[in-house]
Amino acid sequence: MSRLQAAFARARAENRAALIVFITAGDPDMETTAELVPELVRAGADIIELGMPHSDPIAEGPTIQASSVRSLAAGTTPDAILRLSTELRKTTDVPLVLMGYINNVLAQGEERMVQRCASAGIDGLIIVDVPFDDSENLQRLTQEKGVDQILLVAPTSTPERVMQISTRSRGFVYCVSDTGVTGGRQELPRDLGALVGRIQRVTTTPVGVGFGISTPEHAAQVAMIADGVIVGSALVNRIGAASSREEAIVSATAFVRELAEAIRTARH
Amino acid sequence: MIQVKVCGITSLEDAEAAIAAGADALGFNFVASSLRVLESDAAAEISRAVVGRVVRVGVFQDAGAAAIAAHVNRVGLDVVQLHGEESPAFVAELPFPVIKVLPGDAEGIAQAAAYPKVDLLLDHPSGGGSGSTWDYAAARALVAAGRRIWVAGGLNADNVADAVRAARPHGVDASSGLESAAGKKDATQVRAFVANARDAVAAPTRPSASGYFGRFGGRFAPETLMPAVTELSEAYEVLREDPQFLAELESQRATYAGRPTPLYHAARLSEELGCKVYLKREDLAHTGAHKINNAIGQALIAKRMGKQRVIAETGAGQHGVATATVCARYGLDCEVYMGEEDTRRQALNVFRMELLGAKVHPVTSGSGTLKDAMNEALRDWSTNVRDTYYLIGSTAGMHPYPLLVRDLQSVIGREAREQILAVEGRLPDWLIACVGGGSNAMGLFHPFYADSGVKMLGVEAGGEGVDQGAHGASLSAGSPGVLHGSYSYVLQDDAGQIFPAHSISAGLDYPGVGPEHSFYKESGRAEYVPATDAEALDAFVYLSRIEGITPAFETSHAVAALRQRARDWSPETVVILGLSGRGDKDVAQARELLQGKL
Repeated sequence: MSRLQAAFARARAENRAALIVFITAGDPDMETTAELVPELVRAGADIIELGMPHSDPIAEGPTIQASSVRSLAAGTTPDAILRLSTELRKTTDVPLVLMGYINNVLAQGEERMVQRCASAGIDGLIIVDVPFDDSENLQRLTQEKGVDQILLVAPTSTPERVMQISTRSRGFVYCVSDTGVTGGRQELPRDLGALVGRIQRVTTTPVGVGFGISTPEHAAQVAMIADGVIVGSALVNRIGAASSREEAIVSATAFVRELAEAIRTARH
Repeated sequence: MIQVKVCGITSLEDAEAAIAAGADALGFNFVASSLRVLESDAAAEISRAVVGRVVRVGVFQDAGAAAIAAHVNRVGLDVVQLHGEESPAFVAELPFPVIKVLPGDAEGIAQAAAYPKVDLLLDHPSGGGSGSTWDYAAARALVAAGRRIWVAGGLNADNVADAVRAARPHGVDASSGLESAAGKKDATQVRAFVANARDAVAAPTRPSASGYFGRFGGRFAPETLMPAVTELSEAYEVLREDPQFLAELESQRATYAGRPTPLYHAARLSEELGCKVYLKREDLAHTGAHKINNAIGQALIAKRMGKQRVIAETGAGQHGVATATVCARYGLDCEVYMGEEDTRRQALNVFRMELLGAKVHPVTSGSGTLKDAMNEALRDWSTNVRDTYYLIGSTAGMHPYPLLVRDLQSVIGREAREQILAVEGRLPDWLIACVGGGSNAMGLFHPFYADSGVKMLGVEAGGEGVDQGAHGASLSAGSPGVLHGSYSYVLQDDAGQIFPAHSISAGLDYPGVGPEHSFYKESGRAEYVPATDAEALDAFVYLSRIEGITPAFETSHAVAALRQRARDWSPETVVILGLSGRGDKDVAQARELLQGKL
């Protein structure tokens, strides 16, 4: 059983959704990320998504754009993130998912990148700007090297695409809750349950829902219908607003504890 | 589709490069006197590695049937090619598919009937392997008689298209014309050879289903946008052949945009430079630049698709103005994203857009230029994808935009081609145009693609100098990567982060380029060079004074390159320069830059 499968199985055994948290690696610097990851796990995160910052992040709203700028300004590179992952693997079994853009993968070559992810203990890879139908090579490589390529389903995806993506996605299916970019929303879209249902009808792979989940209340709502709750921008906001590393860690872990608590009690 | 055979393969590396380039057949030479002769063991090793992916041809000269059979079995060959005096009876009895080689002259053609069932390869009349050319049209009679004819002898990437058009053969074959040294193939030449052979007959012009021109293009888009991207592709596939749509487009071009634009013989400029220069006057089109050609077409598409809200990105503001114009004309809601830096440089165009009823969003993220405006437009499109049409202004972006914009801008080159034939009675020697994203250049170049005698020069933003500082010369100084949905040349660091570009001209201030230009560059169809800010500014003044035409800063880059190149040209050299836009929008900036220097 892979680390991702184990994380979902554990949550299911406790009759709750898994909490998946996103932070931009190297925001505001690599030392903070290295300290933060184990703290987030202690606070109740089941899976960590590490954002690989890109200069032109077209799928991100202002919050994650700003965090990417901070991280790149601190000199973050894909190499540094893979080194961090290798270090983290010495002390934690938490599933690590790398999330980013195709050009940073192509820059070192798809095969080399996937191989390095596997060696660094990365469990999953999310590349937001390659559609499943044009990424057969990456899907083959990730499968060969034992890294789960997690694909995204959007509210605009046609029924055929929902089926094709859901059955090809490995680790979990990333269900994008709403059209648009990452970032906070006042409320969740009303037809979210229907979209999750469409995915669950065609696959037994766990479904994680992300984009716009900004509060413990949102997290609890999603926890009722999905296998995983993904929170990114709302967490990144807290890191960005902090005036010191200590404050960033305290503020981020407090928020993750709230989210974990909301998810733990949602179905009871 | 025309078959392409790369002969004289001596290594697996060359074999793989030929297959990657799209070759259909590879030739292994077993003629002892040849420079490219292969031992059967070495050939077998290559053959095993490529089996099933390509037709493997063994080349022999007056070998016995037993020797040929032994090679076929040991190496693994699909076809044998016979270069000697093999008799018709000998050929008829060989139990393998055969290509019989004959000289490409009257005598050779007369022998064809004696070898009725096999493919024929017509080679240089004075014998194979000489590398010199012959009259390929001589093959035409046999082709017309229904024979499967290959032509060879002296072919290379530069002349293969002409040979294909002259002979209309089943296939083409080249060896020495594709080499960097005897026995060593040059991958770039092989790629160009295959591409040019194919494109000579098939229309040059269609990317693959997922939008690749060669290895460039594609659809690198978030899933949220994919259904909209597919919907646009499908809608456009129908509309591009819909007579009603095309008629409406044609009439709008004529009565609203002011087409055809003139092809102007710049007599004083020609005299000064010592060559014959024609300017394709896109500056005289409505709104003062070529951008209107694309905007009208896409606005008609948006209307047909029932999208009421239109968004666009703009650099210099010309595309924003064109989009705002057509949205006013067709009653569509228009919002334009423009880098904050550009709103300052091009304040007049911001006002023009607002005057036309558009809302302009200044973009502060990143470098505050065209790249960031496009990021922001893509984010808007992701958010409002269900009712919004994204009207991209260049041959960049994900498929189908590079194709769509290219098709709509091709009116420039189609007109220019007719116009130059009318006045000069021949095609031009050179086309010159500036390249940012590349829409005006591709619009001019594309209709001349198959005219292999017409050379093309794309001029990029050299900024402060490609070696010294910031610039926008993706093709001259970048490397392949993904930006804004397509794989093409971009300015990037080792980790794949895109650099901000720099140019005096907002329209060329872009760190990427349309994928079809990358294809032209790699196949050698066009050449790309940078011109610096200073050279462009100089050319801006120069053309104003010598022809009374003030070009846009973008266009001034093309003028600068023309001045340099003209030194090597003769008075008979005919050049068409794409005068993509007028310089009024740049006058205020020029005044600041030129203070006291005029």
